[in-house]
Order: sequence, then C-alpha cells, then structure tokens
Amino acid sequence: MTGLGFAPLCALAAVALVLAQYAFPRWPGYHVWQYAAALALLAAPVIGRAFDLRRPSGGASTSMLVALLGALVIIATGLGSGLLGPDTEIVQRAPGTVAPLPDVGAAAFFPNANAQDVARGDEGVVLRRRSGPPLAIAPGGRRLVGATELELVPRIAAYVEARDARGERLTVTQPTNPSFLSPVLLFPQRVDIAGKSLPADAFATPALRRQIKAFYFSKADSDVARAHGMAGFASILFAVDDEGGRPLPGGIGFARGGTAVELGGVRLLPTIGTYPALAISAVPYPPALALGGLLVLGGIGLGFSASLGGRGTRPGL
Amino acid sequence: MPRLVGVVAAVLAVLSIAFTLKFYLAQTGGPAGEGGGGPAMLAGAPAQSYPVKNLAGAEDGLERYRGHIVLVNLWASWCAPCRSETPALEQLYERDRGKGLVVLGIDQGESARVAAGFATEMKLRYPILVDEDQQYGRAYAAIGLPTSLIVDRNGRIVRGIDGELSLAQMNEALDPLLRAPE
Repeated sequence: MTGLGFAPLCALAAVALVLAQYAFPRWPGYHVWQYAAALALLAAPVIGRAFDLRRPSGGASTSMLVALLGALVIIATGLGSGLLGPDTEIVQRAPGTVAPLPDVGAAAFFPNANAQDVARGDEGVVLRRRSGPPLAIAPGGRRLVGATELELVPRIAAYVEARDARGERLTVTQPTNPSFLSPVLLFPQRVDIAGKSLPADAFATPALRRQIKAFYFSKADSDVARAHGMAGFASILFAVDDEGGRPLPGGIGFARGGTAVELGGVRLLPTIGTYPALAISAVPYPPALALGGLLVLGGIGLGFSASLGGRGTRPGL
Repeated sequence: MPRLVGVVAAVLAVLSIAFTLKFYLAQTGGPAGEGGGGPAMLAGAPAQSYPVKNLAGAEDGLERYRGHIVLVNLWASWCAPCRSETPALEQLYERDRGKGLVVLGIDQGESARVAAGFATEMKLRYPILVDEDQQYGRAYAAIGLPTSLIVDRNGRIVRGIDGELSLAQMNEALDPLLRAPE
C-alpha cells in the first residue's frame, strides 16, 4: 500500500467509526479509552499526510489536503463526543412526571398513563426546551438536540389495580420510588429468583396496611412458573406482607396480565405492557461534523474537477 | 490559488475543532434530575387538569374551576392527617367561597363509594373529585398525603404544600391572592 493510499483509507475508517455514533448511539464503547485510541491511531497517518501536503502545488495535492482536513475535523468531533460527552443515560420516570435534562437544556414530560395506555405501550414523550418549540418523540423514535441523540425505548411496566374484599378500590402508593402516588410499576430493580435475574418493584396499599413486592416473569422466564399455570405467558409474582414486612399466609401468587388474583386480603389486577424510557446519548457535534463533511466532499470535488481538467494529476482520493 | 484553498481549509478545520471542544467542555449540566422534590417545586408551573368523575358521577376536572382561586387538596379516606385537616378546609370554603375561592378535594385511588362515604361522614360541601388512576397525585409530585396546591385564577400553581395544614396556614397562604384585585 502506498503512502498516498494509506492515509485516505485510515481517514475513511476513522470517519466510519465516528458516524457509527449516530447509527448506534447507545453503545457504551464510544466512551472508553480504546475507542479514543483507535481514532487517534487512525488520525496519525492522516495528520502526517496533511502535513506533507501543507504546501500544495495544485490539483491532486490541494484536493487531498482539503479532504484530509475535513476527515480530521470529523475525527475530532468523534473524539470530543467520545471522551468529553456523557455516557448514555436511560431516564425512566413515572407517568405524569417531569424529568429535567440539564445537558439538553430541556425537560422531558412523561405522559399520564392508565391501564389501557400501558397495555398498548404507545405513549410518547414531549421534550420542552428553553429555546425552540416542543419536540414529541414517539416510541422507537429518535431526535437530535444539539450533540445529543434522544431515543425512546419501551420498558416493561405494569398498571396495578388493587381492591379490598368488598371490591372497593384502594390507593396504591410507592413509598420507595420517586413517584409516591403511582399505580404504575416500572420495575427499577432486579432480583435473582430460581437462577433468573428478574425485574422487581414494590408498592403498598395503606388502607389495608399491606406491603407488596412484585417480580416480573417474561414469556421466556415463564418455565419457572409452569407449576402455577403461567407457562407461555408474561406474569407477575406478588408477595403480600403486613405493614411490618411479615409475610402473610396465602400472600404469594402469580397473576397474568388482565387476570385478578386475591392474596393476603388484597385483590390485585395487573395490566402488563410497556412504558417509555428516554435514552440520552452524546453524539458528534453536528455543525462541526457538517463542516468536516463539506470539506471532505469539497476535496473530492476538487480532485474530480482537476482530473477532468486533464492537468496530468491523479485524483486526490 | 491552491495554497489559498489549503489555508482556508486549514483555518476552517482548526476553528471547527476548537468549537467542538468548547461545546463539550461547556456541557456541565450533569445527569437528568429525579423530578422529585415534592409539590413545592411546582410553584409557577401551569396546573395540570385531568378529566375524572365527581361524586355525582359527572365528568369534572380542575380546568372547570379556571377563573377561581383553587385550593386543590389531594386526600384519601385511610389517611389520618387528611381526616384531621378536613374540618379546616370546610370552614375555609364556607367562609371564602363568596370571594372566589374553591376548595377542590381530589380523592386518590379509591372508589367513588368510599369517597362519598367520607364526604358524608365529614359533612363536606366543597366539591370532591374521584381520581381512581391517581393522575393528580403523580402530576403534582405528591410525596405523601395530604398534599395541597394553591392555583391562581389563571390556572398557575402559586404554592405546593406537603402535609396537613391548619386553618391559620391556609389563611396565610391564600390571603394575598384573595385580597388581590381580579
């Protein structure tokens, strides 16, 4: 491989690594030293070649210089977002609440959700910014705000309706979660049961003085619950304790979504579905990336026009 | 000319790299906030309204009381401080309803029958809404019950208060609004 070909190849590989931050923004590898080292190693021959061409004699060398400088700008934006940008953060909040996003200069409004909304799993999030109009993000959708990629990812959720023995509805509280008055479980913890790591949450029904733990079994995990008739279904294992945390007789049992179960004097009806979480990832700074891209394209264009002009020089790239 | 092109490209490259670095170094906002902090943090925000049922079974919501000064009180029948606060709320409502004050009790998560039983037992005359899905409790960042919010005539939250209020505390919170010209 000649020196002339090696630097553009390195530039191409580095640019591909940087653009991957847009294609797969949640990959944590962009923020480790190995990624930065790979970009730096690829940038070295590009810098060397650009240095050799610092006194361009026209035609191919000028176009090559412009394109390589553009590639270096792109590499710098990739290094910037990888080294200086924050790690990907997953923001999950209770329905009807607001999450301030200081790095984005915005606040994310998580919509209210009832049982039907959780079952459908089609709720979006609205981003209200200090500058600019509100941005709606649909499930699975992505938005670019500054150098931040926002992606809405569905997460397991369950709306729990609790009733007493007379069938009267009970207030559901979540004393250990940020949203105290929410009947929507978001399963922020994980617990190992029967060799499986399961999403877990807890809530209370103060009117009956009950504390209830909930463990989510997906369809894939349902073989553990086969003896309870739950094989092939997503279900929730409830464990009902008294207010002192002591297990109650008959207080443990499974419930499928949409099916009520009576445990420890509480009738529990879960609706299983999803509720969105917001994945916030740093990506290369778009204006600089655009300028780098323009320089690369400009360099290629210059090289192409020089070759068409028949000046006896080789195209730059 | 080729030299000029190279110089311009180099200047642009250096500038964009410098701006990129400046951009990332200026990002010092930190991670997303919890969004907690209780109802006090809602002062100045527009008061959200959700359609729920009142004790007569008709659709109702905070929005219907726009133009009034509203003391929104989130409560539940099992909550002892809610129960002890209620006589003061009733007294306040009876005294100041003529000045444009509405006390709006919003039951959190219980059946209409339970809420109606509580209202009858406590002889409440102020409007009661039944929020089975606990939407108001979530939106108003309740960290316990009772939770009260004072909403001005334009539908903005003036104050959010966690915990039981005495009549004197209610007076202190509402007097400036009731005295202000409409």
